[in-house]
Amino acid sequence: MVKRKKFLFIICILFAAFAMVSILAFSPSKGKNNEAAIPDYSLDGCTVIIVGKDASVDGSVMTTHTCDCGLCDWTWRYVPAADHEPGSTRKIYHINQFKTFPPEQGLKWEIYKNDFTGVEIPQVPHTYAYLHGAFGYMNDQQLALGESTIGCRKEMDNSTPSAKFDITMLTLLAMEQCKTAREAIKLMGSLGEKYGYGFTDTGEMLAMADTKEVWIFEIMPVGPLWTPKSGKPGAIWCAQRVPDDHVSVCPNESRIGEIDLDNPDYFMASSNVISYAVDKGYYDPNSGEPFNWKKAYSPSETSAASSKGSRARLWRFFDLVAPSQKFSPDTPNMELPFSVKPDKKLSVKDVMDMTRDKYEGTPYDPARGLQGGAFANPNRLPYGFTVDEKRYNTARVIGVNRAEYVTVTQCRDWLPHPIGGIVWLCFGAQDTSCYMPLYAGITRIPLSFEIGDHWVFNRESARWASDYVDFHTQVVYSHAIKDVREAQEKWEGEALARVETTDKVALDLYKKDPAQAIAFLTEYSNSHANAVVDAWWKLGDDLLVKYNKLWVYDIKTRERKRMEYPDWWLRELVKYNQLQPEAQEEKR
Amino acid sequence: MRNYKPMLLFSLFCCLYFLSSASGLAETEIPKANLPVLTTSAGQSADVETLNVICEEADIKYDYCDVPTVELIEAGVGLANKESGPGFHVEVYTDLATYPKGTAYKTIIFAIGASLKGMGASGLTVDAEVNRLKKIIDYCKQKNIFIIALHAAGTSGRGAPGSDNEKMIDAVAPFADYIIVAADSNKDGRFTSIAQDKDIPLTQVEYALEIVDIFKQVFE
Repeated sequence: MVKRKKFLFIICILFAAFAMVSILAFSPSKGKNNEAAIPDYSLDGCTVIIVGKDASVDGSVMTTHTCDCGLCDWTWRYVPAADHEPGSTRKIYHINQFKTFPPEQGLKWEIYKNDFTGVEIPQVPHTYAYLHGAFGYMNDQQLALGESTIGCRKEMDNSTPSAKFDITMLTLLAMEQCKTAREAIKLMGSLGEKYGYGFTDTGEMLAMADTKEVWIFEIMPVGPLWTPKSGKPGAIWCAQRVPDDHVSVCPNESRIGEIDLDNPDYFMASSNVISYAVDKGYYDPNSGEPFNWKKAYSPSETSAASSKGSRARLWRFFDLVAPSQKFSPDTPNMELPFSVKPDKKLSVKDVMDMTRDKYEGTPYDPARGLQGGAFANPNRLPYGFTVDEKRYNTARVIGVNRAEYVTVTQCRDWLPHPIGGIVWLCFGAQDTSCYMPLYAGITRIPLSFEIGDHWVFNRESARWASDYVDFHTQVVYSHAIKDVREAQEKWEGEALARVETTDKVALDLYKKDPAQAIAFLTEYSNSHANAVVDAWWKLGDDLLVKYNKLWVYDIKTRERKRMEYPDWWLRELVKYNQLQPEAQEEKR
Repeated sequence: MRNYKPMLLFSLFCCLYFLSSASGLAETEIPKANLPVLTTSAGQSADVETLNVICEEADIKYDYCDVPTVELIEAGVGLANKESGPGFHVEVYTDLATYPKGTAYKTIIFAIGASLKGMGASGLTVDAEVNRLKKIIDYCKQKNIFIIALHAAGTSGRGAPGSDNEKMIDAVAPFADYIIVAADSNKDGRFTSIAQDKDIPLTQVEYALEIVDIFKQVFE
């Protein structure tokens, strides 16, 4: 009898507990939604430049990422390597690459954790250390990447929560788990297929580089009606290797055309790469035409000329690297090649310069005429404009002035990973900022890289040091940019020249004790970066003084000179303001 | 001897409460609406593409305009033969044999989600979009047009109180005749609260695919 009562009591307790848990489970949770609603001004995003190992001067594999958002979170962090217990899992978060958060809410990598997707995947025994900005950029195995949003057919977008992965989370997992570009592509592709890709992202391109090769990886969602229960892949993806002696570019346009899956050294793809296009009517296998990835999933008819320069980056890049091939701005972008062999091999400095390119000397140069004004400012009206109810395009340059930061990654197979990998990072607009080297083996980054946002001026933030110089350059661009370039030549030039010595010292230390090399590279990368940030604050001060009130103050001679204005601008001023010459006024 | 009656009663209460809560989410009676239908956006996010894909999959012939005015809605099916242009999109798929041009819309479906990029492309500020929506909602109420509010974006279409996304929800959801919401959009119970306060039928789904069948039932 007592046993029966005890049993009844236990049943009652279990029943009540189950019911309470169920109630809590089905009740709405509170306390979310702490993120700021962030404007999405990414009308035209990032540019990626890709250099194969035999197309570079020193044998480096290179990628770039101009993080051209304008309102995104620019902060960086170092993520240490870690070992994990067997059976542990990795939580998957929705991470919106375009969102930023007020600093008082905390760091973005903590805030992300509020958006747990409910998916946990098996954790690997060891995760690699990496540098993390908007995406993962380089890990301690010299796996590196650059990113560009390429879009897709609008009905393919999947902005519903059925898509558990977005591009940012995929890059973080690639950095944590992979040593090579091929491994990373297979991992990201398979995760997208299994758990669904999209949510806050549309079609995306990543340049995936390691010490030997570089691939263009493109991934797209498969529409909002996808569910994991369908048994079909939740993503569609394709990857093509850039030949070692070639260079390529991705300016927010799909780059992969015809594919040859019988050649796995150059092509990889999801199982649905062609069948999805056939099912949706994007490709007719009976057409007699070969399947073309970009034409099926992201078709476009524009050229540099037809878009009046707003889609000119593709043509401009190829014209810069291979002028002998005389690429025409009239050629539709989809007809331009996947990659080209450059007329001359590219150095890191060449690539840095290309990230800063503003179409000087072309019909699309935004510094020309009234757009640039008296001081040939190439940064005005980057989104075009509307007047009298008519819309006008302006050229979209590679070095557009809304970068959160720009990276040039360098992977070198003749050196141990901690020494071989370098991320050259500059904060803010690259024309007025300064690239700083961060070696792959470093174990910390300057605090000034980890802080700051767009809405509060912060003297502790490296990005604000760049913006401080940039702001003072805009006023008298054609004059101030000369001072900036002089400073860039000094700081970047010295850093580039010092690479060989730094490598040698680090390598000698590495042979004795890798930890010593890592400590040396960490100290060097951080001290150099801190010196550059200090120098940029001073440069901003100097520009303010020198061009104060639109005069020119010579700091050395303590003289003040008049600002020089170009004749063409003065003539236009006379015409527009109907000014009369002094002599004529005297005649009156 | 211990008295187990209170414990048993409490257990029974908990179970009944749980069952009523769960069934309340899953078994809302799906209301009926009539064609012709116009799909549109509240906030100009890409979620309206999800809405249109759902309509196509459900074989519902619809008209679509991302930024309709009251005058355009008043013009009825065919949307006054307006053509798409920068920041303004019109698509007419309504079966014109059954609903000739000019037939008054019986239903409007709003895909809720704010995008400053989308609003910017249409020359709208957040306040301008809210005002535009208010005028349309007033017109719908005046003309007895059935309003369906859809929020399928999950957490990416939500925000802090007073944020752009929440303003779009405030502008449409409380005035809807039917709310369809993704479970991830309703983690904080905001849509459930609106539905309960305003006595609006609400259906919560896990996947957008489930809305295809719901639309079939709504317009059957």
